Amino acid sequence: MKYVTDTSTIFTRYDLHIEVSRQSARRVSDDQLLQQVADCLVAGDEDRIQQIVAKVLTNKAPLEVINKGLLAGMQEVSRLWETGDCFLPQLILSSDAMLAGITLCEAELGQTMQKKAKVITHTAEGDIHDIGQIIVNALLSAAGFEVINLGADVLVDEVVDACRIHKPVLLTGTALMTTTMTAFPKIAEKLKKQGLIIPFACGGGAVNEEFVTSFDLGIWGKEASQAPGIAQDALNELSWEEMRNKWNG
Amino acid sequence: MERISTADREPNPAPMPPLTDSMAYSSSDEMMFGTALNPVETKDGLTIGGGQVLPEIVPHPRPGSEQTLKTLLREFERANQDALERCVTIGIPAIVIENEHVSQMTRHADWGMEITAQTQQQIESYKAKYGLQAALRATIADIRKPGMVDMRESDRTQEILDAFKACARHADILSIESLGGKEISDYSIIRNDLTGMLFAQAVLGARDMAWLWSHIVSIANENGCIPGGDTDCAQANTAMFMAGGFISRDVSHTLATFCRAVSASRSLVAYEMGATGPAKDCAYENPIIKAITGIPISTIGKTAACANMDLCGNLMAAVCDLWSNEAVEYHPMFGGSSVEVFTEILGYDVAAMNSAIQLGFQKEYQACLINSDRYRSPQSFILCPDNAWAIGKAIVTNNASCYTRARAAALTCGELMLADSNLHFTNFEKDVLLEYMRELEALPDEEDDFIDRCLKRYGKVKGFKPASYGL
Repeated sequence: MKYVTDTSTIFTRYDLHIEVSRQSARRVSDDQLLQQVADCLVAGDEDRIQQIVAKVLTNKAPLEVINKGLLAGMQEVSRLWETGDCFLPQLILSSDAMLAGITLCEAELGQTMQKKAKVITHTAEGDIHDIGQIIVNALLSAAGFEVINLGADVLVDEVVDACRIHKPVLLTGTALMTTTMTAFPKIAEKLKKQGLIIPFACGGGAVNEEFVTSFDLGIWGKEASQAPGIAQDALNELSWEEMRNKWNG
Repeated sequence: MERISTADREPNPAPMPPLTDSMAYSSSDEMMFGTALNPVETKDGLTIGGGQVLPEIVPHPRPGSEQTLKTLLREFERANQDALERCVTIGIPAIVIENEHVSQMTRHADWGMEITAQTQQQIESYKAKYGLQAALRATIADIRKPGMVDMRESDRTQEILDAFKACARHADILSIESLGGKEISDYSIIRNDLTGMLFAQAVLGARDMAWLWSHIVSIANENGCIPGGDTDCAQANTAMFMAGGFISRDVSHTLATFCRAVSASRSLVAYEMGATGPAKDCAYENPIIKAITGIPISTIGKTAACANMDLCGNLMAAVCDLWSNEAVEYHPMFGGSSVEVFTEILGYDVAAMNSAIQLGFQKEYQACLINSDRYRSPQSFILCPDNAWAIGKAIVTNNASCYTRARAAALTCGELMLADSNLHFTNFEKDVLLEYMRELEALPDEEDDFIDRCLKRYGKVKGFKPASYGL
């Protein structure tokens, strides 16, 4: 078969044009041991970080390892994500490594670390497509939030009950199908009836801004990567209306 | 997680079929749209893959209509009527309608059955009134979320089988988008983990399909309908959609491309268990499947932009037998309802392909479709007929197990990408491509060794139950 050699009138590979030289991670500590922890976290090596953290804990206090090694490394990965210098898997792997490292530090500390706030996540009733929620969970955990993960295909009343029990700063809902996202306004209505005025960030698949902003409490999340920012706004006590104005419209 | 060795595992109860050892087509030059080596004929005499391309329209109900059987019946009645009416209005000779279940239609088998029966009555009515030839594909929803239910022994599994039985009484073709392995693939995709994808698709997915398709084929045969096919939508399409276009940073295109090659090993199991095609539309791996089996395939491309974006919008028509839109939600548009509009688009697309066949210009037309997208992305490159055939050849030549053939498919896929200097990569994509090749080469040769390794590595993944797959 004959193949066209000049494809310039057929398509443009914008990805080749926009790629810039990738930045490397910056140093986050002058301390060699803590920098090792951060480097390992940036590399997203969950197995190795446990060895390194265990070694560093013989010389450093657990809180110092968490704050100046693990969290500092995670902030650097987040920066690279923001600047477009790393892909989602690197962020997820670093998050896995951070959580593994923190678990070791907490064991040494004898108590769990204080999280920023609770966020409840779920995938809509009737919908089992939860990869978007899995990403949201990882990003929120990496940002320091306590994630109450209700899983996929969660009944409306189960979501409302969980909100009543846990009083989260934010509820998130994921749906792939338009025929399952209809659970979201039902949840919002029931939350309001019970006086639970909790911002409700919805996204995924066919979920769109017009639909989510058609009911009270709803804030449309275009990308899973927006979840930490939206949760931070909820933690900063922005109302759902203020959050909607900021993220939507 | 305690390691489970091969010796300690229960015998695998999945009825794994003999794995294919030869190619249906002796070269990709023989592969053409509209013609399959093994065409199928519906109850009513409509031949698929017998020399012409047919449109396959897939309406999707609007949100809210799923609330009751009455509203859902009305929604499908309206949408399918629109499709049939537009066929007659603009002169489309024949069409396949796919009713892809929303979960309610599978969870309530009577809902699925009533909607299937209604659609078949509409088809019969248009045939009686106008002579329009049409067929109905019923695609049951896989409502088994791995991790939430046992894949073989659960109420949901029973509901799926009940829905198949109910719909088989009225449908011409049965299909499903099965989910086996999704708990591991969801974990692996977002961790750039090709080994995990291989395990999910080639080991878990294949075992689940062998089990599931033994039931589907029996049900189809008992009811005189066609066991169509499956698709790796849940895994390979998830990777492809996450890879996105030219500005996404979620998943690499090369990972998605490897997943596509691997998916052919998995989806092939349906046909090894007795499915005959037409293969399910959203299986982008179908050109590889057709090269191996010679069955008719349905494909999607630009006409499915209503449902998802891809980088192979024209290419995917190159060897299709049904040309589909994947799913379009029912809505009014300037030109009629969305279903009418997409029926018309599909109808004219296949009219052009069938004109090319009649004029003897099919090779030239196919060349245009392929050249549009061959070098647009790695995924489109490997789905060109020549590369799809080469990957198929690697699959049948390495058929000791679903794993060995999937690994061979992936290695061949990588070699093809590296060998063609006209396929360009960003530095990032090139780096990860080389990393994936090293990862593939370092994997065990034998499936049992691979499974042992993966049970140890992925045993901790939330929701993963090896017993669900007979492991």
